Amino acid sequence: MLAIITTNLLRRSARTLFTALGIAVGVATIVALLSFTQGLKETAAGFVHLGGSELGVFQANVSDPTASLLPESLVGRLDARPEVAQATPLLLIVEGVKAESSAIVFGADPAGFFTHNLVLTGGRRPLAGGREVLVGDRLAAQLHLLPGALLLIEGHSYRVAGIYHAGILFEDSGAVLALTQAQQLTGRPAEVTDIVVQLSPGTRAKSAARSIERVFPGTQAITDPQQALRAGANSTLISKAILVIVMIALIVGAISVANTMAMSIMERQGEIALLSTVGWSPARVASLIFGEGVAVSVLGAGVGLLLGVIGGGLLVGALGVSTYVSPSVTAWGLGRGLLVGVAIGVLGGIYPAWRVTRMTPLKALSST
Amino acid sequence: MSTRAGAEVLVEGVSKSFGQVSSLREVSMGAAAGEAVAITGRSGSGKSTLLALIGGLEQPDTGQVKIDGRAVWTEPRPARARRELVGFVFQRHLLLGALSARANVEVPLVGAGMHRSERRRRALSLLDEVGLADRADHLPSELSGGESQRVAVARALANEPRLLLADEPTGALDSHTSERVLDLLFRLRDHLGMTLLIVSYDPSVGARADRTLTLIDGRIEAPQADLCPR
Repeated sequence: MLAIITTNLLRRSARTLFTALGIAVGVATIVALLSFTQGLKETAAGFVHLGGSELGVFQANVSDPTASLLPESLVGRLDARPEVAQATPLLLIVEGVKAESSAIVFGADPAGFFTHNLVLTGGRRPLAGGREVLVGDRLAAQLHLLPGALLLIEGHSYRVAGIYHAGILFEDSGAVLALTQAQQLTGRPAEVTDIVVQLSPGTRAKSAARSIERVFPGTQAITDPQQALRAGANSTLISKAILVIVMIALIVGAISVANTMAMSIMERQGEIALLSTVGWSPARVASLIFGEGVAVSVLGAGVGLLLGVIGGGLLVGALGVSTYVSPSVTAWGLGRGLLVGVAIGVLGGIYPAWRVTRMTPLKALSST
Repeated sequence: MSTRAGAEVLVEGVSKSFGQVSSLREVSMGAAAGEAVAITGRSGSGKSTLLALIGGLEQPDTGQVKIDGRAVWTEPRPARARRELVGFVFQRHLLLGALSARANVEVPLVGAGMHRSERRRRALSLLDEVGLADRADHLPSELSGGESQRVAVARALANEPRLLLADEPTGALDSHTSERVLDLLFRLRDHLGMTLLIVSYDPSVGARADRTLTLIDGRIEAPQADLCPR
């Protein structure tokens, strides 16, 4: 049976190839998107633990965590909570560095743990009141910046006082400015994007988050990357869009396979009738047709997995977020791609296989 | 190739219509085990339909068809009954173009679920029987019309049928090749002992057969005595 399936597919190699390619594109899209969202999750992990914090407090129900706005006065109230060891505010300036639009500038309290935890690899810390900035080592390498160089932020130039390494992608790809300067630059005095928190020893992050959200209504305390992704409406939108794309790929792929196999059946009525006349049961003939559909899909899925892995990198590049998001291919991501590919073959093969069982050999023979 | 006793065929009051067109009307006939019966008639007279009904490829509207007492169409598993009893040869060889001659002969055996090595052995033996052992690995496109039809005969014999139904098996062949194919069919009938029903325009087929039945407009025109097996 397998030999006949292989022979039949090879006999119509161009059709097999194009059908498989169609499926491959669908599977590749799914794998690329899944690897992208996985990368996004991993990036979100860094975003949650900025400055070595255990949780981040954001404004609730914002489209994206970077769009959050909180009053700076909240820092002191948070700091006074028994479950909080330290709290420090951050004001994020997105797309503030024209030379590298994906770099984030962090407005941070020079006395807070966020700034203190930065390990200097060159230069010194900024002088109080000076128009100076610290630059992450990745950004410094990208823009060939050394201490003493000038960096334009929102059209204003700042001297690079030092280069740091934090070990967190977001931070190392960005720059750190004094909070007051960042607030002046953005015209948001006394406002911050989020407040990062280090917890008191023995405090569980989840219970602390619940407690903070209860005491400070309108805030959300994020403790893990999954939660960060769910918190932003944009991230939710991405997850739902991926689900829709998966469903569309499945439906279009299944229709494509069903159509190709149905055409193939029309052309092969004589052959199929012959199989019936020589004693093949309808179930066996149907399984031959079904097997051909599944085989094309598995072939397409295999190629699709490969294209998807390559496509994930291309997608990140095309979206201009390669600084933050590295596509992450997981076994489960590949498994889901393969599953969709096989499902396309199974769903697309059912109708043609059923049609075969309805054909009468005499009618088919007389039409050949 | 082992010999098996031919099957007895009984057709009683069979009618068949396709839409408004009546193809067979109250046809009754029979064939004894091992008999060779030629069925002749003009185009559209219902010869092929009669053969298809006997082979269980279609269900009669009325009447019944039995092979050795078994009504193939009403069996719980008609395909299996067909496999056990009947072999078909058509006007066109209907070989699968991508498969070698040997693989084509093996196709019915795949349907029977036979083991690969046994399939191969039997296919080669059958090709030897029809004089094509040296062409076993050739594709149909590499065979002549007569050779292809001989492969089709070998394929029809793969499941060791007790009834061979041949529907104008020489219709697409030149006269010389036709003679060779007919020689083969009747030689195999003599050698293997199966019953042979052969539809043909060719008068020489009637001369070779034990008996000839003529279909005219869906009815058999023959003396009453000729309707039944001798």
